[in-house]
Amino acid sequence: MSKTNIIEAENLTKVYKGKVKAVDSISFSVEEGEIFGFLGPNGAGKTTTIKMLNTIASITSGKATVAGQDVTKHPAKVRDVIGVVPQELTADDELNGMENILLSARLHHVRGDDARKRASDLLKLVDLDGAAGRRVKTYSGGMRRRLQLAIGLIHTPKILFLDEPTLGLDIQTRTKMWEYMSKLNKEQGLTIFMTTHYLEEADGLCNRVAIIDHGVIKVSGSPSQLKERVGGDVLTIELTTGPDITDFLRSIPDVHDVVRTDQSYRIKLPKTEKALPAIVEGVTKKGLEIKEIAFTKPTLDEVFLEVTGKSMRDEDAGESESYIQNIITERMQ
Amino acid sequence: MLDETLALTNRALKKWVRNPFTIIPGLATSAFYLALFGNSFNPTNLVPASAGAAAKSAILSTTFGGALTYITYLTAGVICLIIVFNMSFGGIDIVLDRQLGYFNTLLTSPIPRAAIYFSGVFQNLAKAMLLAVLTFVIALIIPDGLKLTASFGILELLGAFAAFTLLGLGLSCVFTSLALLARSIDSLIAVVNFINLPLIFMSSSLFPSSSFPGWLLAISNVNPISKADEAARILIVNGNPASNGMMGTFVGDMLYLVGFVVVMAVLGYWAAARAMRPE
Ligand SMILES: Nc1ncnc2c1ncn2[C@@H]1O[C@H](COP(=O)(O)OP(=O)(O)O)[C@@H](O)[C@H]1O
Ligand SMILES: [Mg+2]
Repeated sequence: MSKTNIIEAENLTKVYKGKVKAVDSISFSVEEGEIFGFLGPNGAGKTTTIKMLNTIASITSGKATVAGQDVTKHPAKVRDVIGVVPQELTADDELNGMENILLSARLHHVRGDDARKRASDLLKLVDLDGAAGRRVKTYSGGMRRRLQLAIGLIHTPKILFLDEPTLGLDIQTRTKMWEYMSKLNKEQGLTIFMTTHYLEEADGLCNRVAIIDHGVIKVSGSPSQLKERVGGDVLTIELTTGPDITDFLRSIPDVHDVVRTDQSYRIKLPKTEKALPAIVEGVTKKGLEIKEIAFTKPTLDEVFLEVTGKSMRDEDAGESESYIQNIITERMQ
Repeated sequence: MLDETLALTNRALKKWVRNPFTIIPGLATSAFYLALFGNSFNPTNLVPASAGAAAKSAILSTTFGGALTYITYLTAGVICLIIVFNMSFGGIDIVLDRQLGYFNTLLTSPIPRAAIYFSGVFQNLAKAMLLAVLTFVIALIIPDGLKLTASFGILELLGAFAAFTLLGLGLSCVFTSLALLARSIDSLIAVVNFINLPLIFMSSSLFPSSSFPGWLLAISNVNPISKADEAARILIVNGNPASNGMMGTFVGDMLYLVGFVVVMAVLGYWAAARAMRPE
């Protein structure tokens, strides 16, 4: 059975107020029933893309269809079939969980017993049935995210849009969100379009990923396809001091490529085990001292580095909150 | 359309009712305005005590339409003032909804844009009208306050509040649109302040327009605040307008207010629809 495309974007472009080009002629498609992820750093254009698909940002040029409807020509038809979980937490503080979800039901024309049944099922799904009667202002960040997910699902949408669904969550809650999402996808065949700047999230959850940076899709495919692209392992050696040995490293058989930053060399090779002795021996013979040595199986960060020339993790370090979050998460492990 | 408007209005009012203390500053303002203006502007204070009580009531009957006390004259004006100020503050909630992203949730829902706009209009109106009622009650219970005549009955009460409600509805259309167009609370407050004070002082709400210079009188005469104020004051001060020949003025004012509401609703929705278009 061939899959149909539930989202199609063609040369989609967004220029804000004639100045900021937030999205630059991107084309992609999302198949029915898949989890499709936009992976990119802050300011890459992820939210802007979602807003265009959700009919709340105008399209400067290009075209997009959602569930077969052109988002510019038939926005009302698109709104009928999409579920949206925005980056901001928008549930009402003064209303309780159940009231929030029932309000969303009413705004989506789900009524009566149907609405109440579906609301309590969804609250159960996201483990909030115990807190349904509590005002949202007493909820933790994780509970709010879970409620937001339930709110977005009340009208049984064909496609669920999630903008950074686990932003700022601790690792346990994040894992929980992943569970709910893959459960919805596997058991109910829900199509999910999500954005994230967490590599693990894109890697572990998405069937296909598009890496976006400065409004441009750099590469897309399944996580394993993308990692294969990078080719094999990556060995990183850092020397204390010394001359540039890039050419020497390149001359070693089995080494595919070498990228140098200061005293650190990223060496791409199909199998570390084969080339490692020759590299270490050569470096030692030159009288150089190895400060640090590490090798990694490729991750999406390697892919990101390859296509953008910078690391996602470096990019994130600029953001104090997630920098601290990274430290905390690392310390807990 | 109606159901969504009600659902959203209900949401806003529920939030408000659950924080009943937020009404206290509004109530305090009403009491403060009545007491402050009622005493400091009280024209009978200008009449020396030696001139006697008759002179004091003479000034009220010549310049202040025969009101039994100055606050009787002032109540309609203060209620108009309370309505104008509450409309502006109501707009802040709408800007907050936009800044916090709640607004986008509404815009991605399959609800008519008009429901979003008119729920804003009604939620502001409801809050302002509750305060209007409470202000009326405060005026009645304070010493030397509102003194109604014998011919003031339930119809007069309803008529006065119909005038206030029309004013509130028209203004709510204006301020809800402004709130939707404003991108920040600061810019909203700047615009609202620019409109509010001239609107109030170029009306007959605090002082009889008969003493205004010509240009001010001309503005005051087309100011919807003056119309609501006049219509309500006719009833509050003099009771049944049929019995004192003021029915024509009252009906004219009410028709003017209905026209004001219709025009503002159309213009307001037109502006709001633009503000709600994809950014
Ligand atoms: N309303 C707006 N007006 C002007 N520029 C905007 C607006 N929203 C986003 N941008 C800019 O567009 C770019 C992409 O932003 P966004 O889509 O929010 O990125 P992401 O969600 O990937 O972090 C950024 O440079 C951002 O500053
Ligand atoms: Mg974003």
